[in-house]
Amino acid sequence: MGVPAFFRWLSRKYPSIIVNCVEEKAKECNGVKAPIDTSKPNPNEVEFDNLYLDMNGIIHPSFQIRFRASKEGMEAAEEKQKIRREILAKGGILPPEEVKERFDSNCITPGTEFMDNLAKCLRYYIADRLNSDPGWKNLTVILSDASAPGEGEHKIMDYIRRQRAQPNHDPNTHHCLCGADADLIMLGLATHEPNFTIIREEFKPNKPKPCALCNQMGHEVKDCQGLPREKQGKHDQFADSLPIAEQEFIFIRLCVLREYLERELTMASLPFTFDFERSVDDWVFMCFFVGNDFLPHLPSLEIREGAIDRLVNIYKNVVHKTGGYLTESGFVNLQRVQMIMLAVGEVEDSIFKKRKDDDDNFKRRQKEKRKRMKRDQPSFIPGGQFSPQALGNRSSPQAISNPRQAAFEMRMHDRQNSTTSSSPNTSLTSDGSPSLAGGIKRKAEDSDSEPEPEDNIRLWETGWKQRYYKNKFDVDASDEKFRRKVVQSYVEGLCWVLRYYYQGCASWNWYYPFHYAPFASDFEGIADMPSDFEKGSKPFKPLEQLMGVFPAASGNFLPPTWRKLMTDPESSIIDFYPEDFAIDLNGKKYAWQGVALLPFVDERRLRAALEEVYPDLTPEESRRNSLGGDVLFVGKHHPLCDFIVEQYKTKNTEPVDIPPELCFIVGQVKLAFYDPILCLFISELGF
Amino acid sequence: MAAGKAMAAAEPLGRTAEEVAWAEALRGACEPEHHWRHRREFLLRNVGELPAAGSAQLQRLVSLSMVWANHVFLGCRYPPQVMEKALEMAEGIQVTGAPVRTTRDELVAKKG
Repeated sequence: MGVPAFFRWLSRKYPSIIVNCVEEKAKECNGVKAPIDTSKPNPNEVEFDNLYLDMNGIIHPSFQIRFRASKEGMEAAEEKQKIRREILAKGGILPPEEVKERFDSNCITPGTEFMDNLAKCLRYYIADRLNSDPGWKNLTVILSDASAPGEGEHKIMDYIRRQRAQPNHDPNTHHCLCGADADLIMLGLATHEPNFTIIREEFKPNKPKPCALCNQMGHEVKDCQGLPREKQGKHDQFADSLPIAEQEFIFIRLCVLREYLERELTMASLPFTFDFERSVDDWVFMCFFVGNDFLPHLPSLEIREGAIDRLVNIYKNVVHKTGGYLTESGFVNLQRVQMIMLAVGEVEDSIFKKRKDDDDNFKRRQKEKRKRMKRDQPSFIPGGQFSPQALGNRSSPQAISNPRQAAFEMRMHDRQNSTTSSSPNTSLTSDGSPSLAGGIKRKAEDSDSEPEPEDNIRLWETGWKQRYYKNKFDVDASDEKFRRKVVQSYVEGLCWVLRYYYQGCASWNWYYPFHYAPFASDFEGIADMPSDFEKGSKPFKPLEQLMGVFPAASGNFLPPTWRKLMTDPESSIIDFYPEDFAIDLNGKKYAWQGVALLPFVDERRLRAALEEVYPDLTPEESRRNSLGGDVLFVGKHHPLCDFIVEQYKTKNTEPVDIPPELCFIVGQVKLAFYDPILCLFISELGF
Repeated sequence: MAAGKAMAAAEPLGRTAEEVAWAEALRGACEPEHHWRHRREFLLRNVGELPAAGSAQLQRLVSLSMVWANHVFLGCRYPPQVMEKALEMAEGIQVTGAPVRTTRDELVAKKG
């Protein structure tokens, strides 16, 4: 599910959940920047106890600006190559080429040297802050870097769950979670902690003022040339997303969302006791249907079409039949889910038809708008010395020289060309000679409307199910066995995702083995489907994971003999690394929105191939390849500090319980290693 | 396994029950029937003597069968040497109605 889509829907439906953050900005006085005192009270009149940072949402965006810059660099480099070729073709001599390093953002994946260095930098940052920032004096900091398996948001969840399970957990703990992912909202709700707030950057960047004449960015009025707006990015996808000058933050208050949901989900005269917390769990589960990171979403459930509202309505209507809640502490009641799904299935047909109608109406309105805008354009713009000059220019336009002669020539030229070209106007270049290039052609009516993306499925026409299964899965819709397999895998997936949110990862092996979802109407007979997972599964080690997620082109992040497995024609896993693969646009416009038809990596075969090259790892690479834990940091004034120092003095390498009177975190600490750069003993936190 | 024997007799032609059983063990859990039939054909045509489980020879054969199947059914393209080998090994296998796909490179070239 697209983050913007879900968040936009949620914030429109429940607007009061959002509050702007008051941020104290650094003050500057006589050119000297005064540091902010972080030990002062929070200007938002709320004191948070715990701050969680999902680094996934912080590292990538910081590099996007740099990555975008390098995209522009690439285009400039292409231009350069073109010029070089032209010079060569003319027999000229070329200066030596400067080799510029390309930035591969794939380095932001666990297991790379980059992430290893990043972890070191983060440790330094924490140590530095603990030692120098007064606001950090009594903070306990936990760092779970990329070597600790799991997504950031879920490691955070695991931590909260564990603390909640402890007898001395303070139920009024104020949590603040930083991240932009829509999933965080669901995660926050799933904790059932009453004081949970999400902080994130506001999606609206502060724009520099556009030119007053043409309403575009990048220049001032005096430089305006009245040009049409340039495409930003190949498909104009970078429009309206200039690098931001000042970033504003917003709070998403889950306590307010809970209030909204209570109103929405309360059901009267139920055959069972109404438990609000359980209906929240069901709501979270229904949001998964509309999109989650692990399953493609069902074709009939689009968040923009109000899919969540539809599900909630069905849920409330059907609850008398279902007789209870859909979920319980992370386990799914398949019998009840089936009822909801089949209810959606009954209206699938009309959903597709309405979607088509809305789409057609939208396109029609766009066409009409374009026509209207074109009519407002002049049908003729003179060129040459008669061409319009920008206002506000320092120099006033030059006097026209020999106007009658120029006008005569234009008329003559026009007469000559009116029979041969469709262009009704012509123009003169600045030296008075006629040229065809200057005028603006009035385009034929619909010639500028973009070609429709191909749609072989046509969900709005009868036979959509057959076409979908044939086109997407390459099977007959009548192949019951296969369809059942797809549904079963999907049901498994829903169970896995729910367990992931409420209990933790049920299986490190599981994945959805198809590129597309089935239809809601296919969810028949799911009540008896197995939803257990293989126990004892282990996560991939970081370098193993890189072998499973990288293309051969990013092989430079891997040790040489490992990299060879991605490119050597004799490699036993060469099929995992295609050079090119198909993209199914699936009705969308841009390649990045389509479905990438990549082959699934067979875990067993991957491990078998790596057995051969494991011995080649250097000690450094082995270290990078090991699974890490969570690291605990405390400053010298922290009550826990002496206790930890004691462990070092007595050379105790066994895990020892953290005394609850010294620190509210329930767990154990253990000596890990000595970091020579920070001059710190690093202790690992365990549970 | 009388049913198994009957299957062996019907298709694929000329294979012993042992060979077919060996091949069937290599089927992907989610492979559609006709995809599997074609890949099985690829495997049986190129196997010669049944290789030992876990042997390099078997791994290579499976890998190339996947290269071919991914190419035909998923639209993947592999480095030239690999493609050549796989297509050579697949010579004579008839596939009708394979899906037509647009690759990422083609898409980018179109819009670019």
